[in-house]
Amino acid sequence: MTSITIAPADNPAKHPQPQLEGSGRNWQGRFKAMASPCEILMEGVSRAQAEEALRYAARETWRLEHKFSRYVEGNPVDRINRSHGKPVVVDDELSLMLDYAAQCFELSDRRFDITSGVLRRAWRFDGSDRLPEKSDTDNLLRLVGWNKLNWQRPTLTLPEGMEIDFGGIGKEYAVDRIVLDLNRSLPKGTSLLVNFGGDLACNGARTNGQAWVVGVEDHKKLSDSTETLSLRGGALATSGDSRRYLVKDGVRYGHILDPRTGWPVPEAPHSVTVAAPTCTLAGMLATFAMLQGSEAEEFLQQQQVQYWVQRS
Amino acid sequence: MQLINDKKNGKPVGRALATATCALLGVQATTTLAKDQPGEWDVETALLIYSETDDRVQAAEPVISATRNFDGDKKLNLKLVADTLTGASPSGATPSDLPQTFTRPSGSGSYTVDAGEAPLDDSFKDTRVAVSGSWTAPLNRDYTYSVGAYGSREYDYLSTAVNGSLSRYLNNKNTTLTGGLSLGVDIVDPVGGAPVGLSRMALRDNKIEAEFDQEFAATRESDDTKTLVDALFGVTQVINRRTLMQFNYGVSYSSGYLTDPYKILSVIDESAGANYGGNLIGADGNPVYLYENRPDTRMKHSLYWQTKYMLDNGDVMDGSYRFMIDDWGITSHTIDLKYRWRLANSYLEPHFRYYMQSEADFYQRYLTESEYNSGTPTVSEASADYRLGELTGMTFGAKWGYRLDEDRELAIRAEYMIQSNDGDEGFGKLTSHDLYPDTNAMWLQLSYNF
Repeated sequence: MTSITIAPADNPAKHPQPQLEGSGRNWQGRFKAMASPCEILMEGVSRAQAEEALRYAARETWRLEHKFSRYVEGNPVDRINRSHGKPVVVDDELSLMLDYAAQCFELSDRRFDITSGVLRRAWRFDGSDRLPEKSDTDNLLRLVGWNKLNWQRPTLTLPEGMEIDFGGIGKEYAVDRIVLDLNRSLPKGTSLLVNFGGDLACNGARTNGQAWVVGVEDHKKLSDSTETLSLRGGALATSGDSRRYLVKDGVRYGHILDPRTGWPVPEAPHSVTVAAPTCTLAGMLATFAMLQGSEAEEFLQQQQVQYWVQRS
Repeated sequence: MQLINDKKNGKPVGRALATATCALLGVQATTTLAKDQPGEWDVETALLIYSETDDRVQAAEPVISATRNFDGDKKLNLKLVADTLTGASPSGATPSDLPQTFTRPSGSGSYTVDAGEAPLDDSFKDTRVAVSGSWTAPLNRDYTYSVGAYGSREYDYLSTAVNGSLSRYLNNKNTTLTGGLSLGVDIVDPVGGAPVGLSRMALRDNKIEAEFDQEFAATRESDDTKTLVDALFGVTQVINRRTLMQFNYGVSYSSGYLTDPYKILSVIDESAGANYGGNLIGADGNPVYLYENRPDTRMKHSLYWQTKYMLDNGDVMDGSYRFMIDDWGITSHTIDLKYRWRLANSYLEPHFRYYMQSEADFYQRYLTESEYNSGTPTVSEASADYRLGELTGMTFGAKWGYRLDEDRELAIRAEYMIQSNDGDEGFGKLTSHDLYPDTNAMWLQLSYNF
């Protein structure tokens, strides 16, 4: 195993250095980001190419994490969230992200909303029975709603007290970004799989023509991902609430909140995994499905994608 | 992803979301990935050269197959195959210690086979063009269907078929059940018309042309058809990450003209004397040859079992066994073994196949004088086609494939087959001839997929 050295300036969150393992033409790179183990599998490359690719992947992922996290003081998201109703001009990358958020808001019939994060002030999903008061969630709902902010590219005006959060997009976006960039920079014929904590994408089959075999986490046996899937192209992403819920009077409240009511989506599945051409699309379809609650399967059926839904 | 309106809010979600995602990532909807992606043709091309030893059948067969993938796992496949066959094939007659003259299938002209030589019909030459198309698409998450059509044309044969299948996925797609049905109609239009079964081949020697013409015409009937129904039921099971198993049961029923219009049988003299075991000489002073005749229905059942296993190092072992039995009395066993040996950017795949078949009930290497019964045969069906006899075949070969990149593969395959027939060695003069010569053949196939 080899450590890849990345300068502190490119590692603002002070993650451990990426590790490269492998031999011959097959290499596996690992690092941490976005609260997940990140894995880059490369076939058909030399050691030097693998090192360079891993270095690029870690730096780029850490850059995206730093830029889109809502916990980093002074980053563009933080500047918007602390803008106190004043217009903020954003760069092209963030503009694309905001355009996407706007479309997702529309397409999900206002269920997917990057301003819904403030509802977490009322909800603590700690396995207890402490539900918030309806009045508390109603108060917070006044700070929720993509339609309440003003987005005129490149200027965003967020009303006082509201917040945005790219938590539902960032990781899948990073997976796609890394696959697309590495697919361009590595020699033709390279096989590549990028896996960030179970959200993953590949650039085609393995170099021997076989499918990649990936484990899908079963929420009932968290440590042991026994179920496997074959992937010859495209991406998989999972949306779920494995450990985060409340139970009161026998009713389970999952952590998927409906921004239109301020309450958990009733009868949301424990997890939804979707296969799609890109990880971002797979993730968004999985999230949309969760937000459909009891109709998650029906929604996915209509999209004609491969999916796996887990309910208890 | 198909554009489907969500009943609840009336908005097309999937496609719009896909478009939005592509805008976010700055990619075209189809640029993300390679094979099996919508909007691209995957093309397979191959050239097969087949050659039997001893100037027998030679064939060249170019194939082009193209598959177009559409959104939502839908696929269209189109395939074009052209065959050119030349050479000679065994006519069914036995060798003789005298030269033998046969009438060509068309009736115009004759050919002569030297004494002691295996009678081969050298007028064998054909070009076949076959086209087929199929459409495969999911019905929903659990079912996939496929429909297709096939047509091929040779100068004396027209074949058409339609087929359909339905697959059901179970256990997270670890189990696939497939049922399929194919219906075909073939029109057989042999050169010079189809011969009447077990009628005597008209020969020119010792006759004037008009006499011959009349005799020849009497052995002819018009073109004929045959219908084929094939049904298949299969189970494919993923045993574990490394093992895949498949079982198929197939039943095939054909009816109509199942005879080979170009195959004949020799009638052998049983009378004690100098010609014991030689060709029976008819009243016209010529040897007696009869056109073969087969039953007009055939029912086949087959069982097939295949297992693929992937080793730790990525090599793949592939073994299969097929058992076939039909109501003509033929049973056959086929064992096929392959090992795909993974190399850096290529693979090497040695191949071995063993085939064994028992003879059909009506298979006879020749007819006797008493069976011929002076033109009123005591048998209603008889054929000396070696393909219906008892035979054993072994094929050895190897394929080498090279992956140029994730989309393109170049492969070369070479195989050598040794096939031997066995059966009744005859009597008298017949015993001095090799009635069952081996068939040795080789294939060479070059293929390129992109």
